[in-house]
Amino acid sequence: MPVIDVVNLSKSFGKKVVLDGVNLSVQEGESLVVLGGSGSGKTVLLRCILGLFRPETGHVTIEGKIIQDLDRVQLAEARKNIGMCFQMAALFDSMSVEENVGFALMRHTDMTKEERAARVEECLNMVGLKDTQKLRPSELSGGMKRRVGFARAIALKPKILLFDEPTTGLDPVMTDVIGRIILDLKHKLGVTSITITHDLKSAFEIGDRIAMLFRGRCLAVEEPEAFKVNPHPVIQQFLRGDAEGPFLEDPPPPPSVKRSPSHPIATA
Amino acid sequence: MLLALLDQLGGKVLEIITETGDFVTVSGRGFLAIFKRPFDGRSFLYQLSAVGVNSIPVVVLTSLAVSMVFAVQLSYGFKQFQAEGLAAQVEGLAMVRELAPVITGLMMAGRVGAAMAAELGTMQVTEQIDALECLATDPVHYLFVPRLLASAVMMPLLTGLAIFFGYLGGYTLLVAVQGQSAYVYGQDFYKLVSGRDLTIALTKGLVFGLIIALVGCWRGYRTRGGAEGVGNAPTSSVVTSSLWILIADFFLTKLLLV
Repeated sequence: MPVIDVVNLSKSFGKKVVLDGVNLSVQEGESLVVLGGSGSGKTVLLRCILGLFRPETGHVTIEGKIIQDLDRVQLAEARKNIGMCFQMAALFDSMSVEENVGFALMRHTDMTKEERAARVEECLNMVGLKDTQKLRPSELSGGMKRRVGFARAIALKPKILLFDEPTTGLDPVMTDVIGRIILDLKHKLGVTSITITHDLKSAFEIGDRIAMLFRGRCLAVEEPEAFKVNPHPVIQQFLRGDAEGPFLEDPPPPPSVKRSPSHPIATA
Repeated sequence: MLLALLDQLGGKVLEIITETGDFVTVSGRGFLAIFKRPFDGRSFLYQLSAVGVNSIPVVVLTSLAVSMVFAVQLSYGFKQFQAEGLAAQVEGLAMVRELAPVITGLMMAGRVGAAMAAELGTMQVTEQIDALECLATDPVHYLFVPRLLASAVMMPLLTGLAIFFGYLGGYTLLVAVQGQSAYVYGQDFYKLVSGRDLTIALTKGLVFGLIIALVGCWRGYRTRGGAEGVGNAPTSSVVTSSLWILIADFFLTKLLLV
């Protein structure tokens, strides 16, 4: 039985259809990477999985429980098994790093202060952030914030981890660091995970399978090697990172000047 | 033309009904959450300070200013009938029954309600409220309860403080400036006021405190649309809670005075 099962999921905002009959399933311990352009419904998919959005049709099952059928208390219980890492970390800016990471421990466990501090330190060490407990979120760089967000997500030892564009806006080195941390967490914790990303390098490193969302629909879910050679023109355009092709709804204007290898833009 | 107008009007009415329904639902959740555990004592203490202690200067200054202006007006008005002695009595009645609770309520709507709306609004647009949900924490429980309880505790106390400084304001004007007898002022200020009036004033303070906290938190919680939404939330919170304070004041006066 899959740990996460997304069945025929559709969600729209007004007339804008964001998800249109998406089907996905993730097995225990598996790492699924979801690729897709901006506005293709990736974040909405994660929010439906978490029960933050209610879909119009279809449902999400986590460990056999239909998320949309749970009441508030049951949903909170289900969420204790899910760690969510937000795109911009979403750290509580009125709290220190230690309080952020220890937040769920304080509210949902009977740990003593010392036990909590030890667990916070352990989580921060896992994401490579030693001795940062006393810092405030405003004192952290973008990459550090994401890592504190990871530490907060794993504090309760969840069975499922969800990453929402964890590398967006980071430099290539930090992108690689984040990719390695996700890989490391996957191996150390053995969690089931869904990662939404634009970064193809880390996607192929992290993912056991890769899914592609396009205009609310799931074009393909397959292993990285098979995904790379998928003949679908949208997937191939996305992998090439080319402006020309069926990927954009409004194609860009044709270049007014044909670039030659010696053209300053082409060589920049 | 007419159909379009009716359509627009209907849309507005539906919007108001939906918003009212949402406010009642979220407020109901807020009240029920008071009895849920864990109780966040640290946040409650912080809110007691933010809502109450930090508001003391504003309440003191406003109460002094309003009571002094009111004393000038009363003294001038009653002078027309050679009845200056009534000024202290009416000053006391007005301060205790109406001015202290309403002025405190309106000032707090501007200071505390707006701050709550801005804080929760920022948390909403920066996904911090979603993060609370994902950490299996009910945002209404975690964010509303300390603010609601702190407002309910502090607003009656601030109203009492406003009455005391209203007394001092009237004293400054009528005794120190205009030379009325301090003994007579002290006697007259409470002459028309009974214990029930004080209870009414504190009850109004409690109700206004609940209105301010609920409207401020609700507006913040329902903030949408980034910086513009965060900008609108405090404005909308102040306007809505001020309006409800004035409406509630009318009904409370009607109900409690009869």
